[in-house]
Amino acid sequence: MDALNNLMYGFGIALEPINIAYVFAGVFAGTIIGMLPGLGPISALALMIPITFAMEPSSGLILMAGVYYGAIFGGSTSSILLNAPGVAGTVATSFDGYPMAKKGMAGKALAIAAYASFIGGTVSVVFLMLVAPLLSKVAVSFGPPEYFALMVLGLTAVVSLSDKSLVKGLIAAVVGIMISIVGIDLQTGTERYTFGSIQLLDGIDFLVVALGIFALAEVFYMLLRGGGGKEAPRNAIGSLKLSRSEVKEIAGPISRSSVLGFFTGVLPGAGATIGSFLGYSMEKRLAKDGDTFGQGNIKGVAAPESANNAACTGSFVPLLTLGVPGSGTTAVLLGALLVMGVNPGPMMLEQRPDVFWGVIASMYIGNIFLLVLNLPLIPLIAKILDMPKPLLLSLILIFCMIGVYGMSFSVFDLLLLLGFGLLGLGMRLFGFPAAPLILALILGNIMEESMRRALQISGGDWSIFIDKPISLALLVLAVLSLGLPLLKKRRKRAV
Amino acid sequence: MKTLSLKRLSVLALPLAALSGLGTAAHAQEWTPTRSIEFIAPANPGGGWDTLVRTVSRVLQEENLAEQNFAAINVPGGGGAVAWAQVARDSGNPHKLFATSPPIILVPLAGASRYDHSDFTPVARLITDYSIVLVAADSEYQSINDLFDALKENPRLSIGGGSAPGSMDHIAIAGVAAAAGMDAASVNYVPFSGGGDAMTNLMGGHIEAVVTGAGEAVGQLGEGSQLRALGVSSPERLGGGLEDVPTYQEQGVDYTFDIWRGVMGAPDMPEEAVAYYEELFAEMLETDGWERARDQLGWIDAYQNSEEFGAFLDEQQEQFSGVLRELGLIAQ
Repeated sequence: MDALNNLMYGFGIALEPINIAYVFAGVFAGTIIGMLPGLGPISALALMIPITFAMEPSSGLILMAGVYYGAIFGGSTSSILLNAPGVAGTVATSFDGYPMAKKGMAGKALAIAAYASFIGGTVSVVFLMLVAPLLSKVAVSFGPPEYFALMVLGLTAVVSLSDKSLVKGLIAAVVGIMISIVGIDLQTGTERYTFGSIQLLDGIDFLVVALGIFALAEVFYMLLRGGGGKEAPRNAIGSLKLSRSEVKEIAGPISRSSVLGFFTGVLPGAGATIGSFLGYSMEKRLAKDGDTFGQGNIKGVAAPESANNAACTGSFVPLLTLGVPGSGTTAVLLGALLVMGVNPGPMMLEQRPDVFWGVIASMYIGNIFLLVLNLPLIPLIAKILDMPKPLLLSLILIFCMIGVYGMSFSVFDLLLLLGFGLLGLGMRLFGFPAAPLILALILGNIMEESMRRALQISGGDWSIFIDKPISLALLVLAVLSLGLPLLKKRRKRAV
Repeated sequence: MKTLSLKRLSVLALPLAALSGLGTAAHAQEWTPTRSIEFIAPANPGGGWDTLVRTVSRVLQEENLAEQNFAAINVPGGGGAVAWAQVARDSGNPHKLFATSPPIILVPLAGASRYDHSDFTPVARLITDYSIVLVAADSEYQSINDLFDALKENPRLSIGGGSAPGSMDHIAIAGVAAAAGMDAASVNYVPFSGGGDAMTNLMGGHIEAVVTGAGEAVGQLGEGSQLRALGVSSPERLGGGLEDVPTYQEQGVDYTFDIWRGVMGAPDMPEEAVAYYEELFAEMLETDGWERARDQLGWIDAYQNSEEFGAFLDEQQEQFSGVLRELGLIAQ
């Protein structure tokens, strides 16, 4: 009952009127930031450091955490409505969310995203509260060989993400890995694929690729098809209500993905984006109607949305219990905590229980706020689809450009965006799936770095990958998940 | 506080003087910014440069020291190279400053930037941090020499750091290893994507030791910690949670390493502007607001004016290129 007492203590802090105001302000600002592509939680939090400086540390963290999970919550909106992911963690949501919107089910997709986010967020806070101190061991048990194996397992999802042609899916994945290689190689300091351009030294931002290949390519595609006058009227936002059978259908994916997402978030270096992809591909394989994923399956929205919010909460485990940030966003949070005079780490639970439990309790409240805030907004926001098509397309275009420019203030990135838009269009016209490219882009970098780091530690001995039990288990899983579907296909063909 | 009110008075006096048609010769030296100052962090939000830029801007504003607003701007890319190229094009602009530290020397030495410190105007060195070597709390190594003895026997033992080979953390460990009589190039330095990443791997027992900034490590040390420090690169012991960590020199290894941070400006910045900023930053370091922020962030004041800072940078370049040559990492 210790946890319950602590939680009550936390609620005592989180329910102070000023802190309730901060939770609300945080999640509200976060939702809006999340909806706008490009304006991610990292820059928003960095801008807030001077504001939080003078605050009570618990209030400061409550506010900033609210912005963070609020942004992941809100990021699904533009993924679903415009095919333009608001934050990196919601890219996978667009795979089925956008097709749903096209079918006139935008309202339902947004509602599912909101419910899934809420459940993912809440389930993971329960985990965070009960097992955070224990989990710090799990977080550090992943070294370079384990990360490599995890990324390999993640990459096997390429098979399930390539709907028609496996070969085309693999080609897309290789292109994704090539894009992930651009920039200075961390292991040797060598420049790769930069062609002497200093703008490419840091590599290509993930969101530039995602916005180009999804949103911009969609705009081009519609233009090519003559303004899209023939398409079914999109004004049907549809009902927000879920039928009983639909609730039943998404209950499993949401609960599985919440747990999976949380544990992915706990690993420093994985996080919401990888969590959402793992959740999506896991559900696609488990589902009986897995082949309709990508065409507007409600499970394809529910899984990544619960996983990314759960991962977001999970990333607070290494931050609060070890004092190490697992992602760019939590690095900024760590910086803010240090400025406020709080040292996150093993002693934090004893030294600053007010911050630790206050923030956990505030997450319960914040998630409820988010749900209450987002549900009534859905019909209003979804009205965006009622716009005449020329207006809507221009709006997406402006959205993407502001988003990309706002990230780096670089015209070069705008040209990159255009380039990836054209690449995305070409891929669509020739039937190459975009999802494997994005997945490989996310995983490729960590996979390569972890592999080389592991080999450097082992002195070039490859057995390091099978000597470590976690790494071995993950690799076996990878082989199975790759082999079984292929076997199944072959058997089907034989029959 | 006295200087502050004087400054304010002079701000009021300037337009009056101009109005009354008094000679401006006396004021020509007293340059003041005429618009808001672009203060660039050549990296993404969250890192060392960004923290410096935001903290300085905030303190200047809170203490009402500057006539004009300092606008913090992030120009990430190429480990700083993108921002440097941008500032280098803005020769003579007195309203453009950027935060700087050893990479302004190391990145060009590695051949990844056309511009180096000599292309810009040094304004002031502000603070310094030191390099620290950590091991797991239950490690058998008790001193920096224990670690080096083990390394001599088994050169494959891996030491993790938060930056690429040939950058700060690598130089720091290679330098101390050389001073301890080892071949610097034999250290198996494993680069991670940040000091935090490296420390997590140390906690998990995946590597033998970590070299990182003392400021970044201080939160990880102390009671209940899973990590322990073997030595720090400062000339004297540090305070604030690090007072128990012996210096390398105390352990018989004659080596110090500064992770300094300062401010530079556009090329050929007018002298009056440099003088203005020098004085402004010197004044800022005296304020209570700065003291509070500095202590919280574990920084140590290390002010140098423009001239001293420029000479110091030349020295550093020589020292770093020596270490890099020994490591075989210098660009031809």
